[in-house]
Amino acid sequence: MIGKWKNKMRQWLTNQMELPADVVADLPRITMIGHIHIYIENHRGLLLFTDRELRLLLKNGQLLVKGESFTIKTILPEEILLEGKISQVLYLEE
Amino acid sequence: MKNEWMYQLTGNLRVRIVGKGLERLLNEFTRRGIYVWNVKREGENSLTCHMLLRDIHHVRGAMRKSGCKLYVLDRRGAPFWLKASWKNSGIVVGVVTFICIVFILSNMIWRIEVTGANPEIEHTVRQQLKKIGVERGALQFVIPAPETIQRTLMNNIDAITWIGVEWRGTTLYCQVVEKKRPTETKSNTPQHLVAKKKAVITYMFVEQGQAVVEVNDHVVPGQLLVSGFIGKEGQTEIVPARGQILGETWYKSTVAVPMKTTFYMLTGKKRETHYVRFWSWKIPIFWDHEEQFSQFEKQVDEKTFRFFTWTLPIVYEKVVWREKEVAVREYSYEQAKAVAKQIAREQLQRQLPADANIQGEKVLHEAKENGKVKVEMHYQVIENIAIPQPIIQGD
Repeated sequence: MIGKWKNKMRQWLTNQMELPADVVADLPRITMIGHIHIYIENHRGLLLFTDRELRLLLKNGQLLVKGESFTIKTILPEEILLEGKISQVLYLEE
Repeated sequence: MKNEWMYQLTGNLRVRIVGKGLERLLNEFTRRGIYVWNVKREGENSLTCHMLLRDIHHVRGAMRKSGCKLYVLDRRGAPFWLKASWKNSGIVVGVVTFICIVFILSNMIWRIEVTGANPEIEHTVRQQLKKIGVERGALQFVIPAPETIQRTLMNNIDAITWIGVEWRGTTLYCQVVEKKRPTETKSNTPQHLVAKKKAVITYMFVEQGQAVVEVNDHVVPGQLLVSGFIGKEGQTEIVPARGQILGETWYKSTVAVPMKTTFYMLTGKKRETHYVRFWSWKIPIFWDHEEQFSQFEKQVDEKTFRFFTWTLPIVYEKVVWREKEVAVREYSYEQAKAVAKQIAREQLQRQLPADANIQGEKVLHEAKENGKVKVEMHYQVIENIAIPQPIIQGD
């Protein structure tokens, strides 16, 4: 009940004050450079990493990146830079 | 993000991690602040990644519970490179030593060649060279320049007229020209003695032959003095005429001496700068003081270095500035006259043979013109006037 109210409050704030959504709502910010780089901020941990798949835990749900010949260029507690040939980026709701 | 070269400097490792739950392990690494990069999956249970050398102790703690194993594949960066180079330092030391030895040997004298001298003079030359430090095994940049060697040898050895000293590689060539000593020829071929120049005979000593002239006779060049034909008429004999005929001869010379002369004189003050020159780059390495002379004499000494047969582009250069100043010398008329007389006498003595003797001198004419004192001198000289003239027997 309270969580729902909080989310609504955040959404309202975002709309009213023109603040970036990732800052207010604690959402991941994803930057892609073509299909070769993907840079994800604000993730919650690595779930799966293979040659063709990367699964990250987010605050709400998961992020699935599919493609070929993946390399993690950098991994920090809240950031990850992935290199490879990215074909899909999927959101998985809980 | 950190720069790649930072990892190069601090040392990094490429490792393979094998086991289950590799994702969990990576999360654990990031939580502990262990920095990993270039993570690549290799298969079901293994991945490779890079990590910093300084994190390796923390990695152990992070992996303890995971049940994964870590293998080091590659070591890179300055710490490993230093370790490797320490191992290879023997070779480096060897190469440097070799270069040093070759450099020293290339700049040594290996041979001193003396040509144009007989064994006796050659020995003297070699001994003189040794005295100034030029001998086999001496380093070329320690010994004096060829011009200096040349001057020293020429001054110290009487028996040589000239010596040329030249460097060619590691050999020092000395070209000697010996003094020609007048050979006392007692020729046995028939000859007359004739007069060399116009003279009045003052002394006669005939060893062999028939004297034709007498003391106080006036002779002209080519005139017969002592005949090679002796004996009574009809039964003459031909002999080599020998003897000493001294005659009084006359010389005239004119010398002009300026009464006022301007010339430069070194004051004895000097300034030295030593340079090392690479190609055309000149780097001063040592200098006395900065004082600039308004008038100076500049002297440049260069020393080159060789490696095998090549001359290195590194040159050691010593530049000496000697201060000079203008000096004005003024003679009075009498002084100028005395100097002129002295110069004239010295000039004459130089052109006369050693056994000649200046008997008297007379000032013929003296004048002062254009600031110069002009003196015309007349000399009476006693000298040997006889020269042999071979008798050619046609019949």
